[in-house]
Amino acid sequence: MATVEYRNISKSFGSVEIMRDLSLSIAEGEFAVLLGASGCGKTTLLRMTAGLETISGGELLIGGALMNEVHPRDRNIAMVFQNYALYPTMKVFDNIAFSLEIKKLPKEEIRRRVEEAAAMLNLSDYLHRYPRELSGGQRQRVAMGRAMVRDAQVFLFDEPLSNLDAKLRAHMRFEIRQLHNQVGATTIYVTHDQIEAMTMADKIVLMKGGEIEQVGAPDELYDRPVSRFAADFIGSPTMNFIEGEVVANGAAPAFAAAGIKLDLPEALSAQPGQKVTCGVRPADLVLSGSGDIEGELVLAEKTGADLNLHLTVGGADFVATAPRGVEVKPGTAVRLAIAQEKMHLFDAETGRRL
Amino acid sequence: MTETATDPLSRDRSSPPVAAPRPAFRGLRRLVSWDGPMPWLAPLIALLIVFTIYPLFYNIWLSFHEYAPFKRRLEYVGFQNWATLWEDARFWGSLSVTFTYFVVVLAIEVVLGMMIALLLDSDEPGFGVLRALLTLTLVIPPAITGMMFLLIQDPEFGVLTYVLEGIGVLDGQSPILATSSTALLGVMLADVWQWTPFMVLIFLAGLRSLPQEPYEAAMLDGASALQTFQRITLPLMSKVIAVAVLIRGIDVFRMFDYVFVMTSGGPGTSTYVLSLYAWQQTFSFIKWGYGATLSLVSLAIILVIANLFIKLAKVRW
Repeated sequence: MATVEYRNISKSFGSVEIMRDLSLSIAEGEFAVLLGASGCGKTTLLRMTAGLETISGGELLIGGALMNEVHPRDRNIAMVFQNYALYPTMKVFDNIAFSLEIKKLPKEEIRRRVEEAAAMLNLSDYLHRYPRELSGGQRQRVAMGRAMVRDAQVFLFDEPLSNLDAKLRAHMRFEIRQLHNQVGATTIYVTHDQIEAMTMADKIVLMKGGEIEQVGAPDELYDRPVSRFAADFIGSPTMNFIEGEVVANGAAPAFAAAGIKLDLPEALSAQPGQKVTCGVRPADLVLSGSGDIEGELVLAEKTGADLNLHLTVGGADFVATAPRGVEVKPGTAVRLAIAQEKMHLFDAETGRRL
Repeated sequence: MTETATDPLSRDRSSPPVAAPRPAFRGLRRLVSWDGPMPWLAPLIALLIVFTIYPLFYNIWLSFHEYAPFKRRLEYVGFQNWATLWEDARFWGSLSVTFTYFVVVLAIEVVLGMMIALLLDSDEPGFGVLRALLTLTLVIPPAITGMMFLLIQDPEFGVLTYVLEGIGVLDGQSPILATSSTALLGVMLADVWQWTPFMVLIFLAGLRSLPQEPYEAAMLDGASALQTFQRITLPLMSKVIAVAVLIRGIDVFRMFDYVFVMTSGGPGTSTYVLSLYAWQQTFSFIKWGYGATLSLVSLAIILVIANLFIKLAKVRW
């Protein structure tokens, strides 16, 4: 187990700079998730951590030791690759045992560790199969097993669940997190799936265009997104946004958009006339006859547990979550209420939270 | 547009039509009809019959006869040619030389080919040119290569003779190609020089198509370069190696040009390979029947070896 620290990391491919001045520290035993859309640099950062990609500038420290020039084989890092990267010519047992054989551990010790890992991952019956004889989920577990038997300082996961079907993905999410709780190793996990990030992370690192947009616990990112981008990325269904401006409403400011006027907290640092975007999570909207937001229902989508109401509010598309059993016909006008503390206000120009 | 459905040329080749189950005779009728595949296959089948199938059966027929075409003498001899073969010491000698040549040449070409391929497997500038240069030896006719190596190893003015005498490997009394213990090595040299690049090209194609991820995983698992080669590269390349050895093996087994040009089988019978013996029996001694028998034995051995390697290439993973 070790800390991982990135100090002013930059990365260029030829003349294209894809990452600049990135600094981040991950505590010992922490489960950190690098989250972002494809191309944001999260996988590159992970590969630089493993040593599979050179670092163009800055310093990488693992367990306090500078790692920039250390060969991947000497970093003592275990990694689970997106497409598993199993050794196709080796049976499952040898795939998992490979790193231990390299270390020249006693045969008995290797057997014990491999069998332990296999039992934990429900792979005991497959130890004598080749990777191509396994299903995607089984291959994924072999890749996990290969990482588990190592006494690695840091565990890296590169979108390990993206090739699995939804049900298996949910199950493996649980398994990986469970495993982390047992082993307690420092883990860096890359994903573009915000649900994976929300459900597994101790700390989410939201990335955008090679820079860190926000770092924090899942709740923090959900409750207080620092920008419109962060607000939009986290949460499903995604947050609703209404463009409008701040107006004076007596002593307190208010948010005004086409057909909507919402009171804002007095302490808000916004000037009347300032163009802003108001963000509201679908789950924070409540159907209420006295609500401030008026819209027209377009479609009521059943998800099983509840309903997603698709509405148009002042010409914009809006989604609200309602409990199951609510009967509304498409085309009817509905009113929605929102608690003041559940509103997120962003500067329309910079996208930063106000 | 119903016509296009029956026109074989206009068929969408990206998605071959699924053959509907139909009675066998209908399939046969379609096979020989004008819109079946037969008209397109016929020229190739004709060529195969004229140049491969007919000669093969003619050869088998010949092996049961004594035939001297210039004397117009044709005589059925039954299994006599095959019996002669069994007791023919020159045949067994030539078979032994052929096997020695086969094993040594293939071993050297595989090992050397793999080493060079690993060295050239790089995207650094200049390596593409080096890889292209490799094809040069392959375009030289083997007889010319034989002549070249005859000159290189000439006891009077050969460069190789000069160098080897200079460093004390040769004593000046025993020319490479005229000494029975070294003559076969001298011939092998020509083969290795000309055909190792062929191995390199096949191995390079194989190496370049290997997946990168296992290598990254092996690196993180702590494997050294040698361990990676042994445990990852070599097993992944086993199919490619088997195919390369198969292709070269067939060629090496029926090697003729080099010995014909360089040693004519000598000194003594030290470079007397099976194909040379078959040629000599057929065209020098005009024993067509026995020549045919020898070539059939050669074919049978090649078939056995080829099957062995095809089995080897069928690995489970």
